[in-house]
Amino acid sequence: MEYLVAEYNYWIYVLLMMIGLYAMLAKNNLVKKVIGMSIFQTAIIVFYVSIGAKEHATIPIIAHGQGHGAVEAAIDVAHYANPLPHVLMLTAIVVSVGTLGVALAICLGIHRRYNTLEEDEIQEQLQ
Amino acid sequence: MIWQIDLSILSLVVLCAFATIMVKDLLSAAIIFGAYSFLMCLLWTEMGAVDVAFTEASVGAGVSTILFIAAAYQTTRIVKARRRGRLASKIIGLGAAVIMGLVLLAAEANFPGFADPNSPASLHVSPYYITQTLADTAVPNMVTSVLADYRGFDTMFETAVIFTAGLAVIAILRRVKRSDLCELPEPYTISAGYEDTIIRFVSRQLVPFMQLFALYVVAHGHHSPGGGFQGGVILGASFILLAITYDMQFVQQRMSEKWNILLGNIGVLIYAGIGFLCLLLGANFLDYSILSKILPATDKIMARSHGMLGIEIGVAIAVMAIVITIYLNLSSHGKLDKGL
Repeated sequence: MEYLVAEYNYWIYVLLMMIGLYAMLAKNNLVKKVIGMSIFQTAIIVFYVSIGAKEHATIPIIAHGQGHGAVEAAIDVAHYANPLPHVLMLTAIVVSVGTLGVALAICLGIHRRYNTLEEDEIQEQLQ
Repeated sequence: MIWQIDLSILSLVVLCAFATIMVKDLLSAAIIFGAYSFLMCLLWTEMGAVDVAFTEASVGAGVSTILFIAAAYQTTRIVKARRRGRLASKIIGLGAAVIMGLVLLAAEANFPGFADPNSPASLHVSPYYITQTLADTAVPNMVTSVLADYRGFDTMFETAVIFTAGLAVIAILRRVKRSDLCELPEPYTISAGYEDTIIRFVSRQLVPFMQLFALYVVAHGHHSPGGGFQGGVILGASFILLAITYDMQFVQQRMSEKWNILLGNIGVLIYAGIGFLCLLLGANFLDYSILSKILPATDKIMARSHGMLGIEIGVAIAVMAIVITIYLNLSSHGKLDKGL
């Protein structure tokens, strides 16, 4: 139980990654595959944000009036969550909407040509 | 953080992930995926990642959902079962997922405990960012200062990636060869309330407030969660709202395709231009402190703060234009005549 509670975030991110990979491989519908890809991306984001979390830490924004001039030494590193993973993941989310747009545009192009989004039906038409 | 809340949100997240890939209707899958994104947003707020949560709320729960709905509208919402090889595909998918899961779990044995303040990720450069952000840049929101100043190169190329994604969507959908077309029925209507006066009135009143809020998010990103990415997406969402409640022509009159592409270019150009300006003034690329030479009444520290505001505005313009472009092209199948 101790082990489970200490690392539960890592367990969940592995589980989400497995769901995403399963959807990408096994689902027949192309949009479902894209949803699987998005779940995979959020799993990675869960992992990074979990790395940045600290116990008893607050959000990475310094309150006004703190840290200026004489009290500058008062900024305690353990008091703020690690901002670096947040930055990397913030941009990753915005890029993921870009990749999502491109993926859906390709799905629309495929549908325009084959009139279906199902993998096996497209394969039949290709043969 | 409180692990009871964490665990309950996480189990709901896993439930939503299962439901969204199992459900047999693409429209339902899109809505459940929106709920999934909102739960993720709660989870990240709970872990202290407020900027990430804000981005997820505007991008993941807002724009992604509407893109999925637009794709379902232009194609089909029905998910058919695989006709043959169903068992084989399930076994392959499950096998690959389980193998990957086991490998990750094996690696996880060596990870530092969750929320350990002394984990390696929190010991290398991040203490510098936390302690020096006020002294170096006068920006209390560390995420903004790392995003726009310490790691400005990363963000510049991320903006370029988004711009490229917008170009790719235009390239795929906008022009069609005759040979690539098949016989398609007209898209069916999802809701009959298309010309609803109440919806139109309410959303029309809502749009100015959304845009004002977006500008606040961009301008106040130094002191509170937010910044160029979030503000840009909210600005784009306000136009998407108009495109849904009125029609595409209504938005096209205000933001034509030409303007959209131009604004996407201008946004990236503002970012890169500020970098080059620093280069011209004799400092490194994106080293804003040199801007104190040309900005009136600004010392080197405040110049970095102002430089960040400049590039956030560039990011916001680019993201807004690209989000609108992607939506308009997806929901009208590249014809830009009528959509959702």
